[in-house]
Amino acid sequence: MIRRLGICVLVAACGLRFGAEQGLHASTPDELFAKANGAYVENRFEEAAGTYETILKYGLKDPRVLYNLGNAYFKMGRLGPAILNYERGLRIDPADAEARDNLELARGRIRDRVPEAEIPFPIAVVQGMLRIAPPDRVAVLFLLTYFIAAVLGGALVLARSEFRRRALGYALLASAVLVVLSASGLTITVRMNLEPFGIVMQDRVDVRSGPAEDNTVLFTVHEGTRLQLRGRREGWYQVSLPNALSGWIPASSVEPV
Amino acid sequence: MRRPRGLTGLLPALALILAAPVAAPFAQGITVRAQAQPTRVNDGDEVHLAVEISGESLDQVAPPDTSQIEDFQIIGGPSTSTRFQWVNGRTSSSRTYSYVLRPRHVGTLTIPSLGVLVRGQTFRTRAIEIEVAQGGGLRSPVAPPPAGSLQGGGQVPAPPGGPRPGSRRPGSPAASAEVRVRSEIDAPAVYVGQQLTLRVFLDTQTQILNLGLQDPPTFPGFWAEEIKVPENLEVKRVQIGNDAFNEYTLMKRALFPTSTGLLTIPPITYQIQVRRLSQDPIESFFFTPTETVVRRTEPVSITVLLLPSAAKPAGFSGAVGSFNLSVTADRSSSQVNDAIGVKVRIGGEGNLNSVSASPLPELSDFKQYAPKVASSSTIQNDRLRSEKVWDYVLIPLAPGAQTVPPIAFSFFDPRTKAYRVITSPPIPIQVARGPDRSGIATPAMSQSDVRQVRQDVHYIKLAPHGLVDRSRPFHRSSLFAFLVMMPVLVDVGLLVYARAQRDPTHAGRRLRRERRARSRARRRLKEARRRLSPATSRAFYAAVAQALTEYVADKFDTAAAGLTHQRIEELLAGGGAADALRADFHRALEACDYARFAPTSSIEEEMRRTLQSAERILVALERSLYG
Repeated sequence: MIRRLGICVLVAACGLRFGAEQGLHASTPDELFAKANGAYVENRFEEAAGTYETILKYGLKDPRVLYNLGNAYFKMGRLGPAILNYERGLRIDPADAEARDNLELARGRIRDRVPEAEIPFPIAVVQGMLRIAPPDRVAVLFLLTYFIAAVLGGALVLARSEFRRRALGYALLASAVLVVLSASGLTITVRMNLEPFGIVMQDRVDVRSGPAEDNTVLFTVHEGTRLQLRGRREGWYQVSLPNALSGWIPASSVEPV
Repeated sequence: MRRPRGLTGLLPALALILAAPVAAPFAQGITVRAQAQPTRVNDGDEVHLAVEISGESLDQVAPPDTSQIEDFQIIGGPSTSTRFQWVNGRTSSSRTYSYVLRPRHVGTLTIPSLGVLVRGQTFRTRAIEIEVAQGGGLRSPVAPPPAGSLQGGGQVPAPPGGPRPGSRRPGSPAASAEVRVRSEIDAPAVYVGQQLTLRVFLDTQTQILNLGLQDPPTFPGFWAEEIKVPENLEVKRVQIGNDAFNEYTLMKRALFPTSTGLLTIPPITYQIQVRRLSQDPIESFFFTPTETVVRRTEPVSITVLLLPSAAKPAGFSGAVGSFNLSVTADRSSSQVNDAIGVKVRIGGEGNLNSVSASPLPELSDFKQYAPKVASSSTIQNDRLRSEKVWDYVLIPLAPGAQTVPPIAFSFFDPRTKAYRVITSPPIPIQVARGPDRSGIATPAMSQSDVRQVRQDVHYIKLAPHGLVDRSRPFHRSSLFAFLVMMPVLVDVGLLVYARAQRDPTHAGRRLRRERRARSRARRRLKEARRRLSPATSRAFYAAVAQALTEYVADKFDTAAAGLTHQRIEELLAGGGAADALRADFHRALEACDYARFAPTSSIEEEMRRTLQSAERILVALERSLYG
């Protein structure tokens, strides 16, 4: 609440400056959001995208803003920024089916087709479940199992009868297994969310064998392609694709998700 | 029957004498000679070979056998000419076979002696040596003059090694015909898919007797459509330089480039039989001296441009030209399930072969069958005009005011160098309910799957309750950390509390002893199990009895030493143990005592049963005491 109040104050302060420059009279994120939506409805996608970007500049990350921004860029035909914002929105809310649909639609229109790496079926199922599970929900699930285990532990401390102690002991063991599973799920979800990925933002970019222009061009990627960022050195990203292709790309041509 | 010896020797001699006057005129009257010009040439130049047969009568003369010529390629001929002479009451005639040769390599080459069959008798020419040098190395002093006016016109340069247009036959008093072919295109640069018209002309100063293509023409990189030319070639008089020519249009093609870049139309080669110009008036008047010449066009290069990518309309059909669109329906009102015919016609100047997509989109309120597509093309003023017609059958599925929506067709107009999108007006169709008045299409006839016809992103989202900052996830919040720590603190507090309750008083000791009763009894039974053998039966039974007795003593916080069966019975009854359980307990103890103090031959099976019985009793007591 305090944070949100701070954002409002910040937006109000900045809004005066931006309002003077761009004719914006909105001063809160909600008003800016409504204004951007109005521009979108009237097919003024460039103006809508600019206003959504303004909201994000203030540090407020609502997945709906990112989703709508992705839509505005999609309508402008800029698939790179569209995919980037859909990806960012899905990191906050992986359960957003509409954002996932739009992301798939945008990905289907980019130039590059990169085959996904083969993942064994059971692992793919678990990954699929965790990929669409919001980290907040997994955290709540973990807390739930954790509380149950804690209650059982407390009861065990207080139990006098051998029978009760034994029953509580088994229940505690089972709940401990659940706690471990949910904690693992939370860890995987968080790690997946923190995986360093980037989206190519230029029409075409050569991927080179080293972090300098005079290195050999290994392959070329195009706008909207998703790259795994494996390292960074002096204005270059070391990137790789799921099909094991890897190389170096100028940092200015890719935007981290 | 003996024949006189002298007569036998005379017969062959007589036959020779009789035959001589008959054969002699042929052998003496026929002369065959070959002449080649020039005898010194450069590599790639032509050599003209003339084989002349002269005699009084040339009615049974076969062409020379040229199969022996190996150092030269015969690229023209044979053309024949016949000449008659009448001198002092005697007639003589000569026939000349002319060839155009091209040397196969450099060096001193030989035209071998050629055989000519005249009235069944073979006459041979003499061999001729030709000196062939590398290009530019030799200049023959007797080389025929270049075909001045034609070469100078620059329209038909001779292909390397090919016959030179207008070249004259050496050794012949008559000049060969001035004949050439040339090709023209109507534009040096076109867009991909745009029509390019190729015309091939024949310019001649002599009479053309026959002509034909040496090879079928090819147009790599083009889709070609033939433009018919009249069978009787039309002639036009043209002036080229100082000379007047008859111009014939031999071929016309509408070409449509299918790829971009610099494309080349290869040479087109014709074999043309022409009337040779003869300086001999008798030959010209009475006979038709002919000559077969080979002529080819020059390769033509065309720059094919890519269609501009800027402002390319979505769903561009790929058509290039100038087209119009019409959409008609065979009726403006119908009933549910009553078919309507809709005809979409696209036509105009250009090629529609690349247009394959159905112009009518899927309509939600009509069932649509696959259209019947017909295409046709005609040539008007040497331009290809195409027409494509889609015949649709639409079945209305719902009553009301329906509409066949506007249909858009996009093409590139090379004249304006811009894309154009033409759109038909919507066609309103009033659909009445069917005869059953239900207004619902019968499933068997018209039910169809709902299909998505276009794709777009889901619509934007609203925030009726305001935006929420979710930049910091829950698992990284202080609340999450507090909720994780809280149960730990609570459990630790409980543990401390429980320990605090565990005081050193009698009650505390009793509680601890009671909790340990089960584990102690279990240890005793484990010890008994180790002694499960007839040899150690006394120790076994003592351990079992001790386990049972000590369990009761621990549970009820009393000394095991002073416990009698009577006292145990009382304690168990007070603890709430069932009668049957107490009886089992009693029997087990008695069995142990009996075995310990009145030992008999104990068997292992009996001991195992006692042990199992004791275990069951202890489990049952654990459940029932203070249960």
